[in-house]
Amino acid sequence: MRALRLSLGAAGVALVGVGLFFLLPLPGLLGVVVWFAGAVALHDVLIGPIVLATGVLVARLPDRAVVRGALITMGGLVLITVPALLRPGPSPNPTVLVQPYGRNLLICLAAVAVVAVVLVLLRRRR
Amino acid sequence: MNPTLPRFRGRLHDARTAVAIGRWLGSAVVVCFLTGLISHVLQHPPGWMAGLLPVRPVWGYRLTQGLHVASGLAAIVLVMAKLWAVYPRLFTWPAFRSPLHLAERLSIALLVAATVFELFTGLINILQWYPWPFSFTQTHYAVAWIVAGALLLHLAVKAPLIRENWRGKPADLDAADRRALLAGVGAAVGAVTLTTVGQSLSALRGFDLLAPRNPDVATQGMPINRTAAAAQVTYASSEGWALEVAGPKPYRVTLAELEALPQRRVRLPIACVEGWSVDAWWSGVPLRDLLARAGAPPGTAVRVESLEVWGYYRVMEMPAQYADDPQTLLALRLNDEVLSLDHGYPARIIAPNRPGVLQTKWVSRMEAQVETL
Repeated sequence: MRALRLSLGAAGVALVGVGLFFLLPLPGLLGVVVWFAGAVALHDVLIGPIVLATGVLVARLPDRAVVRGALITMGGLVLITVPALLRPGPSPNPTVLVQPYGRNLLICLAAVAVVAVVLVLLRRRR
Repeated sequence: MNPTLPRFRGRLHDARTAVAIGRWLGSAVVVCFLTGLISHVLQHPPGWMAGLLPVRPVWGYRLTQGLHVASGLAAIVLVMAKLWAVYPRLFTWPAFRSPLHLAERLSIALLVAATVFELFTGLINILQWYPWPFSFTQTHYAVAWIVAGALLLHLAVKAPLIRENWRGKPADLDAADRRALLAGVGAAVGAVTLTTVGQSLSALRGFDLLAPRNPDVATQGMPINRTAAAAQVTYASSEGWALEVAGPKPYRVTLAELEALPQRRVRLPIACVEGWSVDAWWSGVPLRDLLARAGAPPGTAVRVESLEVWGYYRVMEMPAQYADDPQTLLALRLNDEVLSLDHGYPARIIAPNRPGVLQTKWVSRMEAQVETL
């Protein structure tokens, strides 16, 4: 077990080294560092606390399990759509960014809400 | 001095939850990493590998790159759930107890930063949005190795904890609550996949509500990546066009002459690095016929140049096994219509199992790479 852990860890350090070997000579390295830090800050300062606070708010609700599952699903859908909603400038061509993302996101969120309500009703009937 | 740190009472912020979500996230990251490597090698093969790239299955890249984007999108949900589970550990106090503990925390910081960076820059890239000052492809490739390495290191450090929590404990009071949480995370992964995977999986196209592409929004039945306008190619630039084929017996051939040559009709997909893919019918002249006429024997690689004024892929190298394949065409028609300018008029390359950027449009010149000894 110990030998396995050591070799796994050594392989990990080696691969990080490979990554740095490719990364460090690239132009715009400072930008990469800023985006690394920004990625962590975005989660730890913004997304993390919002999710935790939401969790605290729904903790006492009846049917918490279903509500929580629905909120996680909605959160995932919002997260992958936000860049499409924020992207400035025109679409590079008529076949990229082809969907009305705001409307479609609302449709998806509504569908999740409907499924959640149905699940709650089914659980209560039992 | 002990600073005022937040206190967490949620009981699912535990190792068992972290392991349960971590297994899914780890699987998604492994799939994403391996399919990413496949894509990198197909697009930028090291010299010794170029001759080894497989021509079959024709839908190989369609599958692997579809999986790459789908697993990356799934990992976005999973990494958020995983970070939620371990978030309280961010406030561990004292911040470090020993140099080893500090090293471990720094390696976690690297893992989190690299993973979140990789997933979100990937997400933004598939929108053809580049709001950063670095080269996306090179950086995405380099950081992928950092993610893989930091993940292995993380598994090595946490191995005893993972082993201990691989299965639930019989007397676990939180088991039902945790199962519900995991079901919620699973539902989120399912929803994200269902609403985006239709851009590469035709059967689920009807559910493609949130992906950057919808294969139904297309011209001649095919979406476009680089337009003629972006490549600065016009109908005027192909006026008087004749394809130049360089080799032992070089020649030039006009569009009318190409149309008079024996044609072949094949069904091949365009599979883009950004994850979307669409099958189509292509008609044109088999590339190997054109190369044979230039005196190039079978087993000859070819260099293809485009009318494009500028572009990373203006010149494309095609290894011999693709040039020899009977399905590889210099295509003149797409879905039985003359290629539109955006699809590469007057002639473009279509070959099996290659990334879309290597399906060169607006071909102006081909050069058989005959080895001269």
